Amino acid sequence: MTIIVGFGNDLRGEDGFGIDVIKKLQNYDLPNTKLISTFQLTPELSLELKEATRLIFIDATFSNINNYSLACNLEEYKHDQLSHHISIRTILMILERLYNTKPEYELYSMFTNSFNEIIDEKNYEKAIKKVVEFIKTVN
Amino acid sequence: MGKEKIIISPVTRIEGHAKITIDLDENKNVEDARLHVTQYRGFEKMCEGRPYAEMPGLTARTCGICPVSHAISSSKACDNLLAVRPPKAGRNLRRIINLAQIIQSHALNFYHLSSPDFVFGFDAAPEDRNIFKLMQTHPQMAKDGINLRAFGQKIIETLGGKRIHPTWIVPGGVSHEISVETKDSILASIPEALEIAQTALKYFTENLHKFKKEIDSFANFPSLFMGLVNKKGNIEHYDGFLRFIDSQGNILEDGIDPRFYKDYIGEAVEEDSYLKSPYYKPLGYPNGMYRVGPLARLNIANACGTPLADIEFEKFKNINNGKPVLNTFYYHYARLIEIIYGIERIEQLLNEPQTLDTQIRAHANINRNQGVGCSEAPRGTLFHDYQADDNGIITGVNLIIATGNNNLAMNAGVKQVAQTFLDGNDIKEGALNRVEAVIRCFDPCLSCSTHAQGIVSSTIEIRDEKKKIIQTIRRG
Repeated sequence: MTIIVGFGNDLRGEDGFGIDVIKKLQNYDLPNTKLISTFQLTPELSLELKEATRLIFIDATFSNINNYSLACNLEEYKHDQLSHHISIRTILMILERLYNTKPEYELYSMFTNSFNEIIDEKNYEKAIKKVVEFIKTVN
Repeated sequence: MGKEKIIISPVTRIEGHAKITIDLDENKNVEDARLHVTQYRGFEKMCEGRPYAEMPGLTARTCGICPVSHAISSSKACDNLLAVRPPKAGRNLRRIINLAQIIQSHALNFYHLSSPDFVFGFDAAPEDRNIFKLMQTHPQMAKDGINLRAFGQKIIETLGGKRIHPTWIVPGGVSHEISVETKDSILASIPEALEIAQTALKYFTENLHKFKKEIDSFANFPSLFMGLVNKKGNIEHYDGFLRFIDSQGNILEDGIDPRFYKDYIGEAVEEDSYLKSPYYKPLGYPNGMYRVGPLARLNIANACGTPLADIEFEKFKNINNGKPVLNTFYYHYARLIEIIYGIERIEQLLNEPQTLDTQIRAHANINRNQGVGCSEAPRGTLFHDYQADDNGIITGVNLIIATGNNNLAMNAGVKQVAQTFLDGNDIKEGALNRVEAVIRCFDPCLSCSTHAQGIVSSTIEIRDEKKKIIQTIRRG
């Protein structure tokens, strides 16, 4: 099964990118695919993700350059201490170490420096569309 | 050699950001130590001008860890503005979601934040003292942590619609009733949760002997304790009355309606922290230092009122021959007992027939211009105090966040641990970890008691008396 996780806070401007992508994806009948939208990644999310053979994460990431462009770089995510929210790397580590599963994974991260409002609606929508189309095509 | 200052910033494995400064004297002995909360929260001001009905949803946004606690206290403050009491089903359902919140938060503290210290020891290498190492060496314990937290989160999601910032708790009650299927699904998950909690408690008590020095020095001093109790004087998280006891167990105040909290609690402001320092008014500031949270709740209560928790409660009371347990290290023990209590109590509440009633919410217009809501959050007693005009527009807000109640005690605890473990001539990582660990005993939620602004660097700075940095240690 493919699980697509969009995460962020849709009250905080472009931080809601992952959530907005999931909203769009809900309009399509993607085979063998589960959609999850959440504020943040938490340890117990691994209980749902352990069923996945493929994982796709979608979020927004801070950058002062190339806003609205998409990146796929796990190095952006620090190997953090587990607290109330955790990184993609940590989730993957939990899946491997505790549940002995190593799903394929992809990350679509939109560069932004606006966590208060959507600055450029046109480019924001364009980035959403790009991810949605790509996921539809791959599926 | 002049005086020096050590700064631990940020304090790790807590919720939110803080730093600790340690002042050394000329002989490099610890002279003073303090916790500084470096985040600013402006919720009291932001809420002004909003309609009262928005307050539970608005104030729940204060925190991603215990939004339910804020929604509960806020809704109770709104009940007070409306002069209504929610129907029994509404009260029971609020109680259930509040306990679920406490369980998931306690599980987070015990398994994810504190257990690396218990399992690997306070002197273990920093790279090993974390949940990732725990996953390698104690995978079942790590899984238990995830499952127990998921138990609480699942209840919150099932009742409230979502795990974080649910909007189901509303002025007058809750927004919808629960079905038999929902009740049964929660009940079905209780045995596993109880087994996990009991396993954790067994592990903790069997390993307590390894931490004698920490137990003796982790904020182990006389203080008052405050919390809610019910009419029987038993532990209470949703309603009830405030009780203050002293360090000998004498009841100083009892049966206080939380609406009159200002008669008993003063609020001091210190220059070096955004976290205010509440104190017991009759003793003044700072002598009126009191502690809240799991340790305080057990210290002030006569019993838990559920079978398994009461067995552990008796053992807890025996630690200090029936007198209050003063060692802050035992917050961890109290937290585990509360998890067991919470699971048992949720089961009791679900099995009450009235919990399924469809009358879940009382409706009214504004009948008072001031409303106070009080409940027990995971970290202690939480107060929401609102003023509203005749149209229900909020004109003033005062919040006393659970963590804030412990501010004076946390500061005293940091100083005690630093003086016990820290040698200014040879600063060891294990000593710095213990300084942080005493804070973790209180499980402060600083994003809640203040509010995040910016990113704090992960360094320890040692400074001389002129504040010149003479050593920098990177942490994390």
